[in-house]
Amino acid sequence: MTSRQAAGTPRQGGAAAVPPRRRGSRRWKAADTDRLLPAWLSRTALVVIALVVLVPVGYMVLLSVTPNAQVALGDVSLSGFRNYVAMWSAAPLAAGLVHTLIIAGVAAAISVLLGLLAAYPLTRMRFAGRRAFLYSLLGSQTVPQPTLLLPLFATFSFIQTTIGTHLIGSYPPIIFTYMTFGLPLSAWLLVAYLRTIPRELEEAGLVDGCSRARALRRIVLPIALPAVVVAFVFAFLVGWNDLLFASVLTNNSTQTLAVVMQGFDNTQANATLPLYGDLMAAAVVSALPVVVLYLVFQRYLIRGLSAGSMTGM
Amino acid sequence: MSMSTRSRTRSRGRRQSPAPAPAAADGQQAGGAAAAAAGPRWIAAVPILRRGADRPLWMLIPCAVAMAIVVLIPVILVVALSLLNLNIGTLHEWLAAPFIGIRNYVSAFTQKSVIGTSAGNAILLSVGFSLLTTIVITPVGVLAAIAVHRPFRGRAVVRALYLVPYIIPTFVTALVARIMFLNHYGLVDKALAALHIASVNTYWLLGSHSFWAMTLTEMWAAWPFIYLMTLAGLQSVPREQYEAAVLDGAAPAQTLRRVVLPQLSGILKLAVVLSTLYHLGNFTLAYVMFPSPPPQSVDVLPIDMYYRAFSTYDFGVASAIAVITIVIFLIPVYSYLRLTRMSD
Repeated sequence: MTSRQAAGTPRQGGAAAVPPRRRGSRRWKAADTDRLLPAWLSRTALVVIALVVLVPVGYMVLLSVTPNAQVALGDVSLSGFRNYVAMWSAAPLAAGLVHTLIIAGVAAAISVLLGLLAAYPLTRMRFAGRRAFLYSLLGSQTVPQPTLLLPLFATFSFIQTTIGTHLIGSYPPIIFTYMTFGLPLSAWLLVAYLRTIPRELEEAGLVDGCSRARALRRIVLPIALPAVVVAFVFAFLVGWNDLLFASVLTNNSTQTLAVVMQGFDNTQANATLPLYGDLMAAAVVSALPVVVLYLVFQRYLIRGLSAGSMTGM
Repeated sequence: MSMSTRSRTRSRGRRQSPAPAPAAADGQQAGGAAAAAAGPRWIAAVPILRRGADRPLWMLIPCAVAMAIVVLIPVILVVALSLLNLNIGTLHEWLAAPFIGIRNYVSAFTQKSVIGTSAGNAILLSVGFSLLTTIVITPVGVLAAIAVHRPFRGRAVVRALYLVPYIIPTFVTALVARIMFLNHYGLVDKALAALHIASVNTYWLLGSHSFWAMTLTEMWAAWPFIYLMTLAGLQSVPREQYEAAVLDGAAPAQTLRRVVLPQLSGILKLAVVLSTLYHLGNFTLAYVMFPSPPPQSVDVLPIDMYYRAFSTYDFGVASAIAVITIVIFLIPVYSYLRLTRMSD
């Protein structure tokens, strides 16, 4: 690296000429302007925190390839790869996975659709209550989720007895719930992104005689597709991660992966040979898609949310 | 509840956006903190529609209806439910259930749930859990963000690694923590015994230590949120200010203290409030990590409510606890709004 970094001592007093840096240049070079902490503190903190993060994650991965009998004794080994095969029969994981994909996927798709529909008038029109609408979407996030559980359950029960169909435990209530939980983030993301799409594009279409709705579908949607994809991913994660609502609103034929995992753990607690190796393997499979999706898309999420702001990320 | 704070803030003409991307659901989304800068400026700058063009305001309706059904109405409904005498038989006909006023609230505080504690205990546990976690993770998150701010080899890997505890689903974190805290055979007991700090037979999933097991796990999982918010805040400090400080001869510690930290205070306040709210509402961790029913030391408000509702079917009392939870939630929200208004 540069000789300045090799020297290692912080510069005390005495101005140094700082070379001009091109804004947004990708290949970053360390410079004195970035040093906010003494090097020893910086490095120690980085290493310690990295270790603290790695230990449980590493332990989970190691246990997932350790045979169950050895896990019960507290040992770790690498001879238990068959856990990844046995786990599918140890608990209804495949069913849980399928249900989660359906429930979270459908909920996310509708969430993004409604979010886009809402984002369009919010960015293209001025009307009374526009700001209030946006802020109330935000405000909804301060409502504690557990609080919503009982009244939702009561509402669905009420509809169930009024209409006469079996509602709780089927797909619609849980999909509707997750869809709404993902709505504020979808809407905000699409609002931020739509704002950066020039209005001239739709106005060209409007001049040619198509309606606003048509302009949204034919012109804006294709351009907003990146934001739509990102919004879909994060709305999807809402359904994948939730346990509280799934444990109440699903039954044995619609249980999500989270519910299956919790049930799996519950049954192992008092077993003679707890299948903790299988459990950890299932945990890795439950977490891996989320981690991958998140790491890939989080950059776009931040970029999308700050689109058009002056922060220049 | 959000309605009264909203009208109050609007009438005082607050120019500062209250919050960026919400930490929704499981809190598994990145803090889109920079959107705070994109707040009122662009909201005000929307051009007036041409006269005669169609205004598809109907597009807002599905979103508004869904939010009303799942968020707005339940908040009002839960207050109503908390004033009724409800059990499993009368729940779906709650309109006909007998009105008993505040008796549910009295029961919540005087009668023990199946777990063995009352609502007062649950409040203390929830508040303690949330505050402890936030107090510990805030310096860690800020330190990590500042340490990562300076480019170095392998920084991308470290930055990705630091996100992992936050993005792993909570139920997975709880399962791993449960295995780690197992008595005698778990990693924690073995490590503590090897270091001669504690007996190898310490129970972490039962008894009073369970609170600390839960809190430590939450700290491990939640610190990247503060880290993310601080990172976003650091990047919004203009480069020129860093360079100016160096040109003026500031030592790194001075730059940090005088230039960077004051600008972070806005986003840190928000991060702390969101973090506190998230831990207050965390049901999954305690539910998955501990047996059913859980030990008394982890009987936080969401757990208390859930067990009263679905273990003993006291839906009225459980609703009362839900309302109590809303009230507790309002405290950080209100403090935040007052703090940011005062510094405007």
